[in-house]
Amino acid sequence: MSLVNITGLHKHYGPNHVLKGVDLTVKQGDVVTLIGRSGSGKSTLLRTINGLESFDEGSITLAGQTIGSRDAKTLQQLRLQVGMVFQQFNLFPHLTVGENIMMSPRVVKGESPHVLREEAHALLAKVGLADKFDAWPDQLSGGQQQRVAIARALAMKPQVLLCDEITSALDPELVNEVLAVVRQLAQEGMTLIMVTHEMRFARDVSNHVVFMHQGKIHEAGHPSDLFSRPQTPELQNFVSAVM
Amino acid sequence: MSYQFDFLAVARETPELAAGLARTVELTAVACVAGLLIGIIGAACRAWQIRPFNTLFAVYVEMFRNTPFLVQLFFLFFGLPTIGIEIAPDSAAMLAMVINLGAYAVEIIRSGIEATPKGQIEAAQALALKRWQIFLHVVLRPALLRVWPAMTSQVVIVMLGSAVCAQISTEELSYAASLIQSRNFRAFETYFVTAGLYLALALLLRQTLLRGGGRLLKRGRP
Repeated sequence: MSLVNITGLHKHYGPNHVLKGVDLTVKQGDVVTLIGRSGSGKSTLLRTINGLESFDEGSITLAGQTIGSRDAKTLQQLRLQVGMVFQQFNLFPHLTVGENIMMSPRVVKGESPHVLREEAHALLAKVGLADKFDAWPDQLSGGQQQRVAIARALAMKPQVLLCDEITSALDPELVNEVLAVVRQLAQEGMTLIMVTHEMRFARDVSNHVVFMHQGKIHEAGHPSDLFSRPQTPELQNFVSAVM
Repeated sequence: MSYQFDFLAVARETPELAAGLARTVELTAVACVAGLLIGIIGAACRAWQIRPFNTLFAVYVEMFRNTPFLVQLFFLFFGLPTIGIEIAPDSAAMLAMVINLGAYAVEIIRSGIEATPKGQIEAAQALALKRWQIFLHVVLRPALLRVWPAMTSQVVIVMLGSAVCAQISTEELSYAASLIQSRNFRAFETYFVTAGLYLALALLLRQTLLRGGGRLLKRGRP
């Protein structure tokens, strides 16, 4: 059953036509990776899925529900289903790690503090930061902050998790601790849509890789085919440049 | 110079000075709390362009930041009775100070809100928070922390400015001073002591607001 269904998506930034008719279907439990050069539209595509970017034509449906409306209520409904992790972590600096995780379920869903506290502890344990509940974000390394950001997104129990270059701002030695968490989520059946420059990781973890080029899906398929037998010269160039 | 200084003449008026000082503190405290509230609400409306309040607050800010405090005070106290609105001296002074500080607070806090990193808002949106929830839970506290030193300075300025409220016979510190020196003819000593009291109050107020506010806004964060 398809969870996310994108058809004929177009987006313009002023004179720039950044998405030129994108179709993409993501099933429950899929791990989809968007790759491509910068400016190819992959981050924009990802951000339309939870309404951080609007679009001009086409449609996105999530679990049968159509997105596209710009009204605040529909967007909020959508965002309840879609979690997101950002390149720059974006933890809230005025809240402790525990509060970062509990804030949204408390404020948005009105869940009880007692239950939330337990869930937050469990989530922190899951991302390997059980002892950081009372720490402040700026006391953590980048990798730790990003793992907290993942826990924070999971606390809303999303159906899909979007990851926007989540290791690009990290020192090289911190990349793996974050990727390990994502790998574990993938193994547990979480539906993931990721923009990444970690090609080895994309090949190991995802079951569908989408190569974007000039605002379109240029080539897509299973990673084993895509990376070992790229069909188009653009992808051949890209793969030889990055792998 | 044959003048004999007599500070005892002022010391004898300690109760009068203390009462004036207490009134100044009281006026400042009310202005601080109410002005801060106006500032937060106004800044939110201005920063997020909530119609029609953004325009109303813009007009309010420009009106009160670009006219003298004394004229604002006189307008409230002497002007408004003409159209049937009578305000007691204390209330007029309080109102003028609240309105004046509020206008500056809107602009100060707005600059703090607008310095919020875009990623903070996006993270909150992605977590399905509504606009007002984002403001309350994500934007407000870091914004206040950012502008707290500026806000503190403005409160001190308004406290010092409250001296002109004596002009409408609000019995604050400078009113007490002018009363005392008209009784004992010791203008030098009286105003010397009064200036010292303002100085001490200003320094104390600044330290208290900076430390207390900072601690409250930071909550133990390093």
